Amino acid sequence: MQLTMIHRLKRIFSSSLVAIALIFNSLTAQAQEISGDAANGKKLYNANCASCHKLDKKLVGPALGDVTQRRTLEWLQSWIKDNQALRASGDKDAIAIFEEYNGSVMTAFPQLSEQDINDILSYTIEGSKPKETVTGGPVGSEAPVEVESDNTLSLVMLGAILLVLVLVLVKVKNVLKIVQKEETTSLLEDASSFTRAAVKNSKVITIFTILIAIFFFQQFYVAVSAVGVSQNYQPEQPIKFSHKIHAGENQIDCNYCHSGARKSKHSNIPSASVCMNCHAYIQEGPTTGTEEIGKIYAAIGFDPETSSYIEGYEEKPIKWVRIHNLPDLAYFNHSQHVVAGEVECQTCHGPIEEMEEVYQYSSLTMGWCINCHRETKVQVESNDYYTEMHEKLKEKYGEDAEITVEMIGGLECGKCHY
Amino acid sequence: MAESKKYYKGIEELSNGSLTENLAANEFASDLSTDEFLGDKEQLESSSTSRRDFLKYVGFSTAAATLAACEAPIIESIPYVVAPEELVPGVPDYYATSYYDGHDFASVLIKTREGRPIKVENNDLAAINGSANARVHASVLNLYDATRLQAPMIAGEKASWGDFDKSVVADLEKAVAAGKEVAVLTSTVLSPTTKKLLADFAAKYSTFKHYQYDAFSYGNKLDAIAKITGKRAFPTYKFEKASVIASFGADFLGDWTGQSVSGDYAKRRIPGKDMSRHLQFEANMSLTGANADQRYKMSSTEVKKSLLALYNEIAKAKGATAYANVSVENMAAVKSAAKELVGAGKNALVVSGFNDANVETITYAINELLGNADSTIDWTHRTYFRQGSDKDMTALLADMNASKVGALIINGVNPAYRLEGTAKWSEAVAKVNSTIYIGYKNDETAMTSKYVGAAHHNLESWGDAMPMDGAYALTQPTIRPLFDTRQFEDCLLAWCGNTNTYHQYLSESWNSSILSGGAWTKALHDGVYMSTSAPMEMMEESSEVEEVAVDYSSAANGLAKLSSKGIELNFYQKTAMGVGNVANNPWLLELPDPITRVTWDNYITVAAADAVEMGLMNKNQSNGALNGSKVRINLNGMTLENVPVLIQPGQAIGTIGLAVGYGRQGAGKAADGVGVNAFAMMNGSDVATNASLELMEGEHEFACTQLAHTMMGRKIVNETNLSSFLNEDPTSWNEKPVFETHQGAFGSDKVNLWDDFDHETGHFWNMSIDLNTCTGCGACVIACHAENNVPVVGKEEVRKSRDMHWLRIDRYFSSDMTDEVADKEGVNSIDKFAEMEKASASPDVFFQPVMCQHCNHAPCETVCPVAATTHSAEGLNHMTYNRCIGTRYCANNCPYKVRRFNWFEYHNNDKFNVNYSMNDDLGRMVLNPDVTVRSRGVMEKCSMCIQRTQYGKLEAKKSGRALKDGDIKTACQSACDTGAIAFGDVNDKDSKVFAMKQDKRMYHLLEEVGTQPSVFYQTKVRNRA
Repeated sequence: MQLTMIHRLKRIFSSSLVAIALIFNSLTAQAQEISGDAANGKKLYNANCASCHKLDKKLVGPALGDVTQRRTLEWLQSWIKDNQALRASGDKDAIAIFEEYNGSVMTAFPQLSEQDINDILSYTIEGSKPKETVTGGPVGSEAPVEVESDNTLSLVMLGAILLVLVLVLVKVKNVLKIVQKEETTSLLEDASSFTRAAVKNSKVITIFTILIAIFFFQQFYVAVSAVGVSQNYQPEQPIKFSHKIHAGENQIDCNYCHSGARKSKHSNIPSASVCMNCHAYIQEGPTTGTEEIGKIYAAIGFDPETSSYIEGYEEKPIKWVRIHNLPDLAYFNHSQHVVAGEVECQTCHGPIEEMEEVYQYSSLTMGWCINCHRETKVQVESNDYYTEMHEKLKEKYGEDAEITVEMIGGLECGKCHY
Repeated sequence: MAESKKYYKGIEELSNGSLTENLAANEFASDLSTDEFLGDKEQLESSSTSRRDFLKYVGFSTAAATLAACEAPIIESIPYVVAPEELVPGVPDYYATSYYDGHDFASVLIKTREGRPIKVENNDLAAINGSANARVHASVLNLYDATRLQAPMIAGEKASWGDFDKSVVADLEKAVAAGKEVAVLTSTVLSPTTKKLLADFAAKYSTFKHYQYDAFSYGNKLDAIAKITGKRAFPTYKFEKASVIASFGADFLGDWTGQSVSGDYAKRRIPGKDMSRHLQFEANMSLTGANADQRYKMSSTEVKKSLLALYNEIAKAKGATAYANVSVENMAAVKSAAKELVGAGKNALVVSGFNDANVETITYAINELLGNADSTIDWTHRTYFRQGSDKDMTALLADMNASKVGALIINGVNPAYRLEGTAKWSEAVAKVNSTIYIGYKNDETAMTSKYVGAAHHNLESWGDAMPMDGAYALTQPTIRPLFDTRQFEDCLLAWCGNTNTYHQYLSESWNSSILSGGAWTKALHDGVYMSTSAPMEMMEESSEVEEVAVDYSSAANGLAKLSSKGIELNFYQKTAMGVGNVANNPWLLELPDPITRVTWDNYITVAAADAVEMGLMNKNQSNGALNGSKVRINLNGMTLENVPVLIQPGQAIGTIGLAVGYGRQGAGKAADGVGVNAFAMMNGSDVATNASLELMEGEHEFACTQLAHTMMGRKIVNETNLSSFLNEDPTSWNEKPVFETHQGAFGSDKVNLWDDFDHETGHFWNMSIDLNTCTGCGACVIACHAENNVPVVGKEEVRKSRDMHWLRIDRYFSSDMTDEVADKEGVNSIDKFAEMEKASASPDVFFQPVMCQHCNHAPCETVCPVAATTHSAEGLNHMTYNRCIGTRYCANNCPYKVRRFNWFEYHNNDKFNVNYSMNDDLGRMVLNPDVTVRSRGVMEKCSMCIQRTQYGKLEAKKSGRALKDGDIKTACQSACDTGAIAFGDVNDKDSKVFAMKQDKRMYHLLEEVGTQPSVFYQTKVRNRA
């Protein structure tokens, strides 16, 4: 996503250089000399300002789209760098705005240089221009749609060739027979005489029966092994939550939302309050706009218009559909694997950061668990818990042996079934 | 003319031809009404659905339904909207609180999972009663009892609390206006803040009077103490300092003054030079008597007289004045006890039971003579668990009967159940204008009350307690109230017109008068608080007690002239039931009595000799189940019918015992109708003389979990006495089996059929059970139930020996016949074993907790056809339920009989709905989510709390440290306040269990079988020569 953005911006800026020049001209006309790089400004804005400010809307702080028209550049410079000092100096505007927002203190940004602030301010001007100029550019590059190779056509063609071959061979045979002055037979007659011979041949029948039996048995085995296995299960969720955007593009750590994975047997689905840590400010998504994020607000009772929680709201819990369902008879502990075993989430859950909608990546069968326990190495060196045990294991399996989960009893029934 | 011969089918055809013709014509009396059944005939004929079509449709729809059913159901996962900060799903939270139900008090920790309390644990910070007994452990289940009162009721109709308060206040004001008493009847009020609140209440309602009454009262004892010491409260008994303990009818390990003493008692029961000596004089075979070094059985009348005789003996030795001369049957016992007690001096302790002022007075006098006031009895730290007064109750009943009571508020007692038989409660209560009952159940008292306020469970309430001078405890809710209930104190506040909640009232009261600068949150976190300043005064009447010279000699005369006519009836409290406050609890109802091993019942216990004389019998049915006679008890004009009879070794001749707490009505599905109500015959005194028994028709069916009473000369419980233990070589009293092989003689650990497991690497879990400190109290059994989702099967199934206890406490009686006796008297072996099967009339008692022994050469593992039970590298025997196919070979091959089979589905099964912990949605909230609920046809057994070992290991791994001894405790171990159970890793040479394994007392159960168990026992040593 970040990459796309940059591409998009680059394109915008190279193609509409003239337009930008014009905008700067108009700014100078407003007696505000702000010369900044709006592209850098956007980066800084998103990093520092976006959690409390929007360009077109009041959030925690005021909308900034027209801030350069409301305030002078000097005032803005000193306010952004240290608004408290500005208030202390008795600046009326500063005090007024502080009081307007119920005394909520804006973070000071002494680390921003004058040029940085200019960049941000130019972005506020640029960003609040009517959308056409922005959306006019080409849409950011998207991953090329992978066309699944379909072999039906080639199979049909192969069949046709074979058919032609058969017909040709029959013709050849008949020609030969004519040469030999024998009676010719048609394709159908050939086929029926062959079948008759085959049906009468007990060996052929035995082989066929065995083949059919093997086929059915194999099918039965496959079908029975699949009972209760829900690999690739991908139910529709109440909110079109995209792990691709959150974990992939925005690189949010899995444990930020699924905080239980490190502490508990459950890797909990985050409560709506965790979503609100970001979505109190990020009120619009890139693909579904406000629709899906609005569902969080409906659950918790948040009014995006006023950016405040509705008092006395009856909370409506979100009914997610559980994808990974281990049977009750198997005990599984996330923290065991994530903390003690240092297993990556993706090992079992697959490329979650690429999933628009989550599906069950692994089969979650016992065979799958066992295989992993046979192969996975235990972190014996880095964990004091194993120190004494490791010495004994070395005696048993050799100095350099790699200790797998199996060797420390990871295949014993009672470790997971109790 | 053979061809014209006519054969009649019967005489009827010959005599009444037309009838048989008719019958023959109408062989099928009437047409089956298929037309009616199938509707309009024409339409039916025109329809094209044939029988074949019908079958096709049935077949298709069945197939379709089957296929549809294969579709996995959608499982929703609903997170919190706003998650509580302290709660991580899957991780337990512990809250310190106190349990008090008007009878039992304990400072405990409550384990909650996802906000649900699921387990009670002991609070080690508490200075007093930091350990829960079986009833407190089980009380968490009562929280989820759907038969609790769910809303307040006025005259049997559901009401809102607003209306309830309005009507109650109007009635209270009317009573005051009419000059009639506003009486508040409670059990012992242990809470200083409730007392303060009652004072506020008194200020508002001028005719207020407070009565405290305990169902199993020690009021007369307390009155005696008040007379002597000026303060109406028991002292703290310091059993850990006592080297000689003489108990006269005091069941201090069971139910006594409310102080939990077993932990302190056990400290001195570890064999060695310091081991205490415990003498018990009693009539019923009590838990305490079973643990005694020397038990003298005699009627309670004799016990009381012996107490006086003991005083005289000690007085003689100390040169003090003796009182009234008394003759007792077993003077030798008294003399030797006196000698020992005098020898121990201030380290001696004499305690007594009985709600009898004279007994308490003489007990006090003896202890004074022994001079133990600052060592084994602490009079500066009084305990307040029992404050009830029999005189209070008499006064209240008199006022009620004289129509002087305008309004009666009842909380914490169940007077209709307790007093109906002896004091005609319903008649008295009918003369009260308005009765208000704050209780849990629509029980006996609720049925006689106009207003019934639904009370919180203890785990939903706020509260505090001052169990001992200076020791405070807090009660905090561990779950939001499940129903529209309110606690007693909140009711009082509402009726006082105070708009505060009791929570606010409590914290204000603590901050102003108890904490003296200490932090409220710290106290709440710890659940207990030790005050350094002067304690709050619990006893407002203490100043009223007149300082009069105590008349010991009249008390002595009172005891001396005691005589017993007829049969002496001794009331007692069972370990499982107490006074019946937590009656509707299937765990407790199925907890076997430690002594009799009977579940789901109370009964009279009689001596075998008496039973023969009176024609009472106990006999085993073909399947082993026990049947007993039924009797009618007559006592001073009162009768109790259909009381089952159980022959009890160790019961004093001429006495019978009967447990209270049973025979409930309105307590709930599990408890109602179980047993008989002994309170119907129990006045203030717990001993009644002049009773008589009449044999009744029919037999009573008992459900016992143990049918063999003796060890039949085998070394199941290894026992020795202290002098052998101290002076002799262990091989003489702890003989290990030796196997002769062609290579020589070896111990059982060397003679193997199988390859050994490697137990050097990693952990090797072992458990040590000390038979000396195990008192048989049963707390571990209930803790195991709660921890491991052990099902309750009900009386019928227990009778078939299908109880599911993973941990049982076997009880054995000694027999008069031993190998030595047989050799000496030349008894042949058949007669010898027949005699060995009979318990002695004055037996020694042994308790032995038995769970899966986790054999390292497990017989069960080798016979399982599907490898459902396997051995772990950590020395545990695993049981994989989902693999088990129920052949039961393992149970048959288990020498310890610890494997239990699920004969039925015990959950979600209406047939077992007395066990609401598995059969209704509310009850199921108590289940431990970390342990599978087993299904029908599956074998189960003790897993050594593998969920706890796994959890403990994981916590260590997660924090990257080695596992310490004590990190992991099994449920039974943590419930055991005597420390009899030690569990740990024997590969850790610093662990307690490693030390115990090297102990010279150590032995394995049935070691000769060669199973090499991971569980071992410590030889029982009795302190006698």
